[in-house]
This record gives sequence, C-alpha cells and structure tokens, in this order.
Amino acid sequence: MNGDFLSLLAKSSFAAGASPVAAGAGPPPLEATTVFAFHCAAGVLVAGDHRATAGNIVFSDRTEKIIELDRHSLLAIAGSPAVAVEMARTLQTAFEFYRRSQFQPMSLPAKMRALSRLLHENVPATLQGFGLVSPIFAGHDAATGRPSIYFYDPLGAQFEAAAYAGSGSGSGSIKSVLHFLEQWGRPKPEEMPLAQAVCLANRLLLTAAEFDTATGGVDPAGGDFATVKLLDADGVHAISPEEQAQFWREAKP
Amino acid sequence: MTDEPYRWLEAVANRREYIRDQLKGATPVFAFSRPEGILLCGVGAGQSKIFEIYDRHGLAALGHPVDIEKIRQALIEAAHLEGFTRAPEDVTVRRLLNFSLGPALKGAFEQVFSAPLIVEGVFAEVGSAPGTDVLARFSYDGTHRLETGGIGVAHAAPEREAAAAAWLAKHAGGGAPLAQTVNAALAAWQALASADGAFPEEVPAAPPDLGGRLVELALLERAGPGRARYRALDASAWAHHG
Repeated sequence: MNGDFLSLLAKSSFAAGASPVAAGAGPPPLEATTVFAFHCAAGVLVAGDHRATAGNIVFSDRTEKIIELDRHSLLAIAGSPAVAVEMARTLQTAFEFYRRSQFQPMSLPAKMRALSRLLHENVPATLQGFGLVSPIFAGHDAATGRPSIYFYDPLGAQFEAAAYAGSGSGSGSIKSVLHFLEQWGRPKPEEMPLAQAVCLANRLLLTAAEFDTATGGVDPAGGDFATVKLLDADGVHAISPEEQAQFWREAKP
Repeated sequence: MTDEPYRWLEAVANRREYIRDQLKGATPVFAFSRPEGILLCGVGAGQSKIFEIYDRHGLAALGHPVDIEKIRQALIEAAHLEGFTRAPEDVTVRRLLNFSLGPALKGAFEQVFSAPLIVEGVFAEVGSAPGTDVLARFSYDGTHRLETGGIGVAHAAPEREAAAAAWLAKHAGGGAPLAQTVNAALAAWQALASADGAFPEEVPAAPPDLGGRLVELALLERAGPGRARYRALDASAWAHHG
C-alpha cells in the first residue's frame, strides 16, 4: 500500500513480536494515568498529570503523556507507557512518511484508523495483562475545519466525544466534574477562554488526586503544572508552565 | 553475449552513452548552502524536481520522472525506517548514499538486460552551521562526490556543470542575499538550458524570463520549530528577500 509505513515496518527486520508470557507473571505493570480532553472556546484542550505507577509504587512524577503526533494531532496516553510511547512514535513516523511520500497530509479518518490498527495489533499484550493502552486522540479535521476528540477502548474501537473524554485511573472524578459543568456550569467548559480552561484542567487533576493515588505530579501552588496542549485550526500549541502560572495567578478564586 | 568480458564492457559503455543521450533534454538543478539553510532550486514544465526526503534532507534531481520517483521513494523509505529503528539524528546523507541510493543506482546501471535509472541530482542535508551542511552530487551509475564549496549543481553536461558551479561561486556564494542567489541560479539555468548559452557578466537584478516555466524553490531551514525543516518557498516570496 503506497505511503503505508506500518506495512513497510512489518516487512523490515525491526518487526519482532513480544514472546508470549503467562498472565500474571512478573512484577505489576507500569501504568500512566490520568489524561483528559475537552472542548473550550479556543479549541480542544488536552491535559494530563505527570505520574506513572507500578502497583502501589510511584514510578515517576515526570512522565509526559500528551504527545504531539504531528502539527494537527495529539495523543494522550493512559496505560502501559512502554507500549503507548512506541505507538506514538510509530504514528509520528507513519504520518510524516505518508505526507512526504504522497505529497499530502494523511486525512483525519486515516489517522484514527491507524491508531485503531495499532491498538488491535496490541490485543495479545492487552489480554496478557501488561500492555493495556487506552488513549485519547485529538485531531483537527481540514475537511470540517474543527478539532475533534476521540477515545478508544483497548481493542481499538473508536468513539467521538461530544464535549470531553478522559482515560486512566483518575478519569472517573474528572469526567464527573466535566459532566456537571457541561450541564450546569456558567460558563460551560466549551465556552471558557483559554486561561480559564487551563486553570480548570489543573483543578480537575487536583480533584482527581484527592481520590486516586495514581494521579499526581501537579502542584500549582508549588510551581508544578499539568501538561496542557491546545489544538486549534493553526495546529498544536503547548501551554508552558510559565503561561499556566500566569493564568493561575490571574484566576479568580 | 555479455558473458565475454569485452562484450560486457561494450554493453556498459553503450548503456552510459544511452543514458547521457536520454539526459540531454533535462535541465539543471541547484543547491546552495546559506546562512539560513540550504536552498534548493529547479525549473520544470509541470514535473517536480525538488523534494522533501526526511527531517533535514532534500533532493534536487533531473532525469526521467518515473526514475526520479523511484529513487525518491527508496530514499524516503530508507530514511524513515532508519530514523524509526535508530533515531532521526542517525539519518545522514553519507549513510543513505552508502547503503541505499548508491547501491540502487549502481545495481540498475550494471544490470544490462533491464532498464537503467535515468537520474542525476544533488542530495542535501542541513546541519547546525553552514560548515556542517552536506551536498552530495550523485550520478546515474551510483558514484557521488561531496561538494565542499557550498554549491551543488547537477546538469547532464559535466563541463557546463563545472562552469556553472564556478560562475555561481563567484556571484551567489557565501552570504549573498537570497534574492540574488535565486536570480543567479535562474540565470545559470537559462545559460545551461541552451547548448551554448553564455553566463551573464553580472547577476540580473530581476528574475529572467523563463517562458512561463514553473520555478521550484525550497529551503531546508537551519533552525525552526519542529523536526521537519523543509519549507517549500512561494516562487513570488523570495523576491521580497533583501
């Protein structure tokens, strides 16, 4: 298939599958939590904390989970970082390979299918209990002119989120708050300007961390902010900790 | 026939003559190492000659469009596999020439019972400073040379190519303004496109009239956001550079 990096990769010597192991063997799998995305007035905001856990162990509080796949798409990863980061790297290369070889960017539906395909190919690792990935994908559709949010089940089924999506162990609290705000908030998250939406993202993670030990690594009062990226018609914009600090200071209590 | 050594040599010589004859109608392409990056320039009549290959790599080629496309695809595949399995920093012109482009061209050239690849060009890699840029002038038989003067020209006639490179080094080398470099490249193109066209005394102040042909310009930017440094330039935009 022309422009298909995944097929090219399968033919190369790099494609070596994982050896089968019995479920439950080995130490607790490493997991990255918590990520979410919601529509705001500026576009789609994608955010996540910095924590990776292995069982009851905090493995890292410096994990980057919001990955720019190309100028117009983002992947927020929850689940096994080893598998998820490799998926992101594969997609980054596949999108660029297609753009360069075919003289046009890959369409949004094709990008989503590429992620579905990787998740489907990962089913054996998921069933063995060490490779579960449950990502959120945000992409800007040149055809419709608007950014969209999609979430996936670990088998590769995709669903479009009308207003928000969340994944990872702390996402239950976050989705509850976002649902409440979408129903009764004034303004609703989709009406919030960027500064307000960024503050909301940090507050959502602080809320999730109250009930989920696997959510953490965010402490706005101490200068540690979430990873926050905005997707709009111009592409992906990372909101730096300095910008977030300014928004946080200027936010009304 | 070709199992006899002298017959094989004769077949290869005939092949070289055939390729050179096929390349006669092709027009030149240019590459310039500049402070802001590497400028690639080509002029075509509906067929592209300037291509993005990888993050810091571009190709300027002349020859049969189908053969250009074959080596373009081969280079893109090799570069992306290499960048994925190792790292983007490990993708270099020297390595791609040695394990991908060179063997592919030499193999096609010496397989005397199949069609050769009718293609020549310049393969470019932008570095962190002009001194680390790489411009490789490659030929249809798999040979290449690395240009050390910061200017790469690919043309079907070697003597005329050398004359153009010398003229461009004098008039468009180093830190010449971008518009001057482009006008010099187009003047050199005009001179080379005719069999005995003379190079002008000075670089024309305005782009020469190329009879409505499509001017292709791209810059491999030395610095910029993201990993991909290839930027196609609007043919009208470069005229505004001072």
